[in-house]
Amino acid sequence: MNPVLRIATLWARHTLWLGAAVLLALAAMAAGIALMGFSGRYLAAALFGFTLAVPLALQFTGFARVVLRYLERIIGHEAIFRALADLRVWMFRGLAASAAGGLGYRRAGDALSRLVNDVDTLDGLFLRIFVPGLSALILAPILGWVLWQEHSLALIAIAPFLIVAFYMPLRAAQEARANAGKAGLAMSGLRSTALDALHGLREVKIFEAEGRMLAAVQSREAALLAAQRELVSRSSALNAQSFLLAQAAILAAILLGFFGAPTAALVAVLVLIAAFEIVLGLPRAGVLYGQSAAAAARVVHAAEAPPPVPDPAEPAPMPSRNAVAFEHVSFSYAPDRLPVFENLSLQLPQASRTAILGPSGAGKSTIAALLLKLIAPSAGQIRLGGTDISLLPAEAVRHRIAYLGQTTHLFADTIRNNLLLGDPTADDARLWAALEAAQLADEINALPEGLNSWLGEGGATLSGGQGRRLALARTLLMDAPILLLDEPCAGLDAATEQEFFKVLNTAAEGRTMLLILHRLTGHENLDRIWRLTGGTLISAAG
Amino acid sequence: MEDSAELLGNDERKKPRRGNPWIKAEQALGLRASRWAMLLGAVQTVGAIIQAACAAALLAAMLHISPAGWSVALTAFGFIAAALLRAYLQMLAEREGFELGAAARRRLRGLVLSTLLALGPAGLRGKHSAELAATAVDRVEAMDGFHARWIPATAQAIIGPVLIGIAALYADWRAGLTLIIAGLFVPFAMAVAGIGASVAAKKQFLAMTRLQIRFLDRIRGISTLVLAGRANDEAAALAQAAAELRQRTMRVLRVAFLSSTALDLAAAAALVIIVLRFAPVLHGALALAPTALFLVLLTPEFFAPLRAFSAVYADRMAVEAIAEDFQALPPPPLPVPPVNIRSVAAYGVTLAFDRVTYAWGDAKPVLENLIFKVGKGEILLLTGASGAGKSTIMDLILGFLQPDSGVVSINGAPLETLVPAARTKMLGWIGQKPVIFAGTIEDNIRFGRPEASETQLADAIRHAHLTELIASLPQGLQTPLGESGFGVSGGQAQRIAIARAFLKDAPLLLLDEPTAHLDPAVERDVLESLRHLAIGRTVVLATHSTMAMDFAKTIGAKRLDLDALRYASWRSEVV
Repeated sequence: MNPVLRIATLWARHTLWLGAAVLLALAAMAAGIALMGFSGRYLAAALFGFTLAVPLALQFTGFARVVLRYLERIIGHEAIFRALADLRVWMFRGLAASAAGGLGYRRAGDALSRLVNDVDTLDGLFLRIFVPGLSALILAPILGWVLWQEHSLALIAIAPFLIVAFYMPLRAAQEARANAGKAGLAMSGLRSTALDALHGLREVKIFEAEGRMLAAVQSREAALLAAQRELVSRSSALNAQSFLLAQAAILAAILLGFFGAPTAALVAVLVLIAAFEIVLGLPRAGVLYGQSAAAAARVVHAAEAPPPVPDPAEPAPMPSRNAVAFEHVSFSYAPDRLPVFENLSLQLPQASRTAILGPSGAGKSTIAALLLKLIAPSAGQIRLGGTDISLLPAEAVRHRIAYLGQTTHLFADTIRNNLLLGDPTADDARLWAALEAAQLADEINALPEGLNSWLGEGGATLSGGQGRRLALARTLLMDAPILLLDEPCAGLDAATEQEFFKVLNTAAEGRTMLLILHRLTGHENLDRIWRLTGGTLISAAG
Repeated sequence: MEDSAELLGNDERKKPRRGNPWIKAEQALGLRASRWAMLLGAVQTVGAIIQAACAAALLAAMLHISPAGWSVALTAFGFIAAALLRAYLQMLAEREGFELGAAARRRLRGLVLSTLLALGPAGLRGKHSAELAATAVDRVEAMDGFHARWIPATAQAIIGPVLIGIAALYADWRAGLTLIIAGLFVPFAMAVAGIGASVAAKKQFLAMTRLQIRFLDRIRGISTLVLAGRANDEAAALAQAAAELRQRTMRVLRVAFLSSTALDLAAAAALVIIVLRFAPVLHGALALAPTALFLVLLTPEFFAPLRAFSAVYADRMAVEAIAEDFQALPPPPLPVPPVNIRSVAAYGVTLAFDRVTYAWGDAKPVLENLIFKVGKGEILLLTGASGAGKSTIMDLILGFLQPDSGVVSINGAPLETLVPAARTKMLGWIGQKPVIFAGTIEDNIRFGRPEASETQLADAIRHAHLTELIASLPQGLQTPLGESGFGVSGGQAQRIAIARAFLKDAPLLLLDEPTAHLDPAVERDVLESLRHLAIGRTVVLATHSTMAMDFAKTIGAKRLDLDALRYASWRSEVV
């Protein structure tokens, strides 16, 4: 299905609101047209010495137009706010069900932000494309009738109207779509070059590459501007052509009036002017459509992607025990890529504490992702309490695991709400106990608003160490028997790291724990230590 | 997990102040740049007036009021000429608007990037590079509407009605006065209502922005929500927050939209009044007919620029939201102080710290009265826990930080008295995770010295033990690296950094935990390459790794233990 239409079907729930908005828009448009028409009729009638009871109609249509426009705005915005919310909730649910975890454990923050940008682009679809498009569709027969009244030949003037209302937007959309690829490529080139320059600022300074980097960014920018300029030059030409078509139609209607009924001709001309005022914006809407088509395709693709690990049709009952076993597990990210590991086996007895060490890129986090059912092994089995997790629903498996990863997110919300994510039923006493356990209670207590303090985006108001400890407190609140920690101390200084592990040693009491680290600090209390290198686990100690 | 009252409250607090100076400065620049666009707009308006006059004359002839004849053909020709002129000017104006936006974006982006590049890493501490890149890319893009559309539309909203008002006054002063009064009524009604289009747009824009920010935040953290089993609750909360926000916003908008209604009312009333004003006159005075028609045709043209202006108000609002990001950028660095700048012979380097103290902000100093000296060709091993000041020492030598007191000197010359370019030439550096730029392997190695010869490049590759890797790749040296290219491992990246350092051939080499992220086997290998690199250079090696420490000892390094220093100073305080 066309992705733009797919998005439109999401709004079916609000048919009433959207329908009302469209109807009001049409009524307001009709009142505007009628206002011009009546003005023409009244003027013409006056010229020929008739007196018609038009003034009332004139005042009425004028007033109706003002009121209808107001209602159109109110209802239109009500409708669009509803549609907007639905689009976002749908997208959120879709992502959560499909690729969510997958997107999260690879660092895909930027890809997600881009997707959100795409959703924002789609906001314009309804008010700026559907409503005027529909208006034009309904306007065409009315206009035809009015022109017919003037002179049968005057119907010719409908042709430019149809071209401006339908053909020009189509061409504009095609131009925009053809350009979207080029502009998108230039934009991502610009983005990655700018990111490179700033991410590698140290290298840039040390190797005196400031000028080179600036030049590289500016050349990418020039490419972007060239692509955009191309579209502007084409669409501005289309707009100018549309304008000329409108003027040609108006001139034709005037000249044909010499051969037909003058009054009807004056009415027709004024109506034509008002009608073109409405559709002259459509070629611009066409550009917008062409640009949102790609965004809509990306959004639909992401939201409707199938889950990476499908849940079993008939799930097995959840096991009562919480030992974890990897049995001869192999995994590779794609069939044509080298396996991350092959034939890997690992036992995590109930209530044991295990660490897996290894350099970054060795596949440690892949073990976590496999256990969380974010990915599935290409061979072998993972057992939870003796049951193969492929037979268990992902949500139930995750319910047993309290996970703290490198990318665990702190939300732009209060500290309380961030903690409640771990256990929505927890009372203040439990929240403080968790903060106490994570060695954060004193610092939160010192904040003027305590638990109600607002965290900035990504926890920006906390230091790195405080943020990690808050994430730990949240993880500890989850009443899950398995604790899975993936580099919980990334970004912490040594002293904080030591404190963190001391806290962890008591807080994890009685739970099955798997700790993933690139090196040990010596303060972890562990039963077993493995080192993951070259795709195999080697016992390091314990 | 949401209390949207708080969400709202939080945003209210950072409501943009009236008359933000940054926006004012941008506006002044934009207005200055848009003179040509204003002229185009004015001429377009004149074209519209001519066209309306021609159309009115034609209509009058059509209604058999004025005689039809050759004059009709001439008027029709005038109509066509005016229409062609308008179409052409409209196209030019649209392109000119784009150029205005493009020029502003180029200027802003150049400013942001050159400031950030000049400041270097130390000036940006606490800011994420992705965030800064977003300012340099997306925020700058978002400034386009302000310069490309809003400023020209603002000018046209004054120029257009004024010109048309004059024409209308000239044609018929009563009708002209009607138009002008209706035109003035628009801002007057907005002001009297005390709400204005700006408030409506602002509220609507803020509501949308809030929803978008919240959505972005939840999407970014979606894996956290899914893994915590809270995705469904959050979806419901998201819908709920959106609904509350909608109700709150609509309550405001219902009142605020009255200001747009003022515009509609003025336009409709003006048309009706003009029609009614002429109707009785026309019975006896057919000569007035062209004037009457002219004014009826002029009325929509009079209000069109005002409508266009309110249509681009969102572009103005968008700036309020992003101005803060631009203002939050650090100011550009001061030019090099005018002390007696000199250069030192780069044949062997002696590095010395003389009673150097440095503190981050108001915190307790990381380094206090630090004294050490590394002679020509010597190696200094820096050890200590994270946070003990190893990286601070590196940044002080690199010139990214200036000591609070004391002197860092190279060959006896204080660092700040050296020509910056000459100082940079003397320094080589390898960090924990070298940045691999988008480009080929060759580009990445040549990053150290783009003008290096083929032989020098080959030597660097050989010394850095990269020969085998490059031979194994089908595209060899031209293999693309970076985000979309071949992914290099940590050890390979480190070798590329070593090749860069070989190529740069600087006499003072700083190694900041070069093996922190490597496998033991790879670490041994990389250390071996570093041994080659160290020969004949003055080296400072900061490390945690026992293997790297052992390595340093075998090549005769002196050791400076920052933990021990701190412990000693702490003990002396207690005593």
